[in-house]
Amino acid sequence: MTATVAFTSGFARKYTNGVREFEVEAHNLRGVIRAMDEMFPGLGHALEEETTVAINGELHETGYFQPVPPGAEVFFIPRIEGG
Amino acid sequence: MNDSTIVTDSVKRFKWIGTRPIRPDGVPKVTGRAMYGADLKLPGMLYGKVLRSPHAHALIKKIDTAKAAALPGVKAVVTSADLPEQKNEFIGPERVAVNFWHVTRNILAREKVLYEGHAIAAVAAISASIAEEAASLIEVTYEVLPHVIDVDEAMKPDAPLLFPDMIPRGMTEPNPKPSNISKRLEFVMGDIEKGFAQADVVIEKEFTTAAVHQGYIEPHACVAKMEADGQGEIWSSSQGHFQMRALTAKILGCKIGDLRVTPAEIGGGFGGKTVTYLEPVAALLSKKSGLPVRLQMTREDVFKGTGPTSGSSMWAKVGVTKAGKIVAADAIFKFQAGAFPGSPVMNACLCSYSPYDIPNARAVGYDVVSNRPKSAAYRAPGSPIGHYAVESVIDMCAKAIGMDPLELRIKNVASIGVPTIAGPKHAHAGFMETLQALKAHPAYANPPKGPNQGRGVAIGYWFNGGGESSATMQINADGTVLVATGSPDIGGSRASMALMAAETLGVDYNQVRAIVADTGSIGYTHVTGGSRVTFATGMAVVAATKNVIKDLIRRAAMIWDVDPEGVIWEDGFAKPAGANVGNFKPMSLAEIAGKAAATGGPITASAGVNAGAQAPGFAAHFVDVEVDPETGRVDILKYVAAQDVGRAIHPSYVEGQIQGGVVQGIGWALNEEYIYNAKGQLDNAGFLDYRCPVASDIPMIDTILVEVPNPVHPYGAKGVGEANICPPMAAIANAIETATHTRMTHLPMSPPRVLAAMSGGK
Repeated sequence: MTATVAFTSGFARKYTNGVREFEVEAHNLRGVIRAMDEMFPGLGHALEEETTVAINGELHETGYFQPVPPGAEVFFIPRIEGG
Repeated sequence: MNDSTIVTDSVKRFKWIGTRPIRPDGVPKVTGRAMYGADLKLPGMLYGKVLRSPHAHALIKKIDTAKAAALPGVKAVVTSADLPEQKNEFIGPERVAVNFWHVTRNILAREKVLYEGHAIAAVAAISASIAEEAASLIEVTYEVLPHVIDVDEAMKPDAPLLFPDMIPRGMTEPNPKPSNISKRLEFVMGDIEKGFAQADVVIEKEFTTAAVHQGYIEPHACVAKMEADGQGEIWSSSQGHFQMRALTAKILGCKIGDLRVTPAEIGGGFGGKTVTYLEPVAALLSKKSGLPVRLQMTREDVFKGTGPTSGSSMWAKVGVTKAGKIVAADAIFKFQAGAFPGSPVMNACLCSYSPYDIPNARAVGYDVVSNRPKSAAYRAPGSPIGHYAVESVIDMCAKAIGMDPLELRIKNVASIGVPTIAGPKHAHAGFMETLQALKAHPAYANPPKGPNQGRGVAIGYWFNGGGESSATMQINADGTVLVATGSPDIGGSRASMALMAAETLGVDYNQVRAIVADTGSIGYTHVTGGSRVTFATGMAVVAATKNVIKDLIRRAAMIWDVDPEGVIWEDGFAKPAGANVGNFKPMSLAEIAGKAAATGGPITASAGVNAGAQAPGFAAHFVDVEVDPETGRVDILKYVAAQDVGRAIHPSYVEGQIQGGVVQGIGWALNEEYIYNAKGQLDNAGFLDYRCPVASDIPMIDTILVEVPNPVHPYGAKGVGEANICPPMAAIANAIETATHTRMTHLPMSPPRVLAAMSGGK
């Protein structure tokens, strides 16, 4: 199942040579993180440690277990915390 | 508390969700018996005192503790030399990255003091007065350095540097020099120049805001008891005892599992009690003395030694067509981080435009250190500050094109599928419903018409939080129910947890007792913050309850000697699923509990969740003010606050959250500020001079609870604690302009400033 992975421009500059969008095959977030880490070794760790993820706009802590529906947009943004 | 307007399209009816029972922690609190951080007294307990810096910026040449240690009754003296050094590296995500090299220096200063009130050393003695005297006997030799307080001054190339080797991160120019700028952030979508070219009206303005404190009523306090084998216990008032345990273990260099932290009742936090100041020091004093130690702050300590939220210097620019379409927006947010990096400037960048569908937008943020206490989270950290600038300029645009300010927002509000400046698209409804509910309020059609009176409108956005929570349910022998969670109860969450458990289990609310368990008695639970508890911990409670129900069905089936598939759970009773199962009388929770031993032992179940899809918070407010032209005093005549609350589990507490956010926003808008003298010392470190609003300053705040349920939560809950503090500052500034034709660009809009602005700055 193909998902579109997207990054902010700052994150992309830092980790993916400025490329902001990728197509990956995955059925959950673990698969997305692994696929990205294979393309950019070390990126998986950065995704786990530094990001919040929006799957089709729904915000989640970046984990492994979240399902990724076919055609989903998986957008990694800087992690958010509140007061 | 009031009976708010509740706007709901829900056809689903509940027995307990949405009711208003008396809070289970109410009686101990109103009778003075609730145990707060400073109330615990252990046998042999010592009293601690922290010595703080009188200087805003100075090198510590020497600390001599000999006289203090020699004072009779003194049992321990500690300095930073007693703490292990930490690596100078940022750990974790950018926004909340923690650098323990900084954290340990904030807890006890090392080479330098970086703000007045910076902790330097601490003592423990057999009485508070001896501890105080001992602290005064500690001799510190300083070399006073030039200091910088203001954020714009701190960014200048010739500013005194707090960290001479700190290279700014994220700067656009190559090889940036050391600076007080910790980092630069930039978020962009669309084409800014093209967007502004489409605008009929473009307005830009600069704004500044003062640092403001959360103003929690209870000063920080804790008791620590460390044993000779390295194990320890801490009782502490905080927003997260698991967080306090982890931070204390890291600072002390001990194992997390060696510490057990019990949450005391908490007298307010609003983000400011997610940070540790005292716990590691109390533990260190206890370790050194071999006795329990209590440390507590005075109000002056709280103001000088703990984190307020950032003050700021901002610029915002908005372009709009005559028809009312916002086509472009641009902003620069410069935030005071305090003495160590880590302001919430990223949240200002990400939240300020989020309520809108603006195709072309940019937000640039700077995190800047200066000689102030390290900033801490405060209710929707960063978002209210950014909203003040952007919502002010949007109001100016509405006035420039002659459009009702609420109508302009309705025309531009974001809907599902609209991208945010962070990148992801909005996934939840509720914004438009909230704006429409505010517009439908009977008072909206009747703006004030008296002299020097005016109305202002503003809106606010906050992400809301999810994340990790744990819950455990136990069924007692008489059918009463205990629900334990790891979330310190700041806003009435014990009642909300009990309501969700009672609804799910189908039993009477009064049969359920909810408690907050210590770190040794419940699974990990993230802090009470980010408006996450009712949502995330509520999901854990519902999951634990469902696990209990499965077990109850299994046990009822065993008692009836039938297959578990033949049993259902309904309205608090086990019932046969159909006539063919057998003619069994429904069995109550108490009846099954009475057979617990026979059916396998205690009835208990736990659940842990990492809750996501929490849905953001959205608030829309209007306020009517009257400005006294002779004094500049602003009176709030009427305040109406609408908010998308998902579903109000306990409406009274939701109303309380909204009213509380508005009141804090009014204080931020009109009076509250840190005032520094020329030496960099805080001149108003007390509630007499740091003026929070009191009851006589404000009218009853009308609340409109707009129920657009979150489909992910079993009962539709969304976080409600933070979005409400985002609109007030801009709403009041906008109202003042309507009343006086004077645009206020500095917070607080205190009487002298309003008077000066009305007289053209004279």
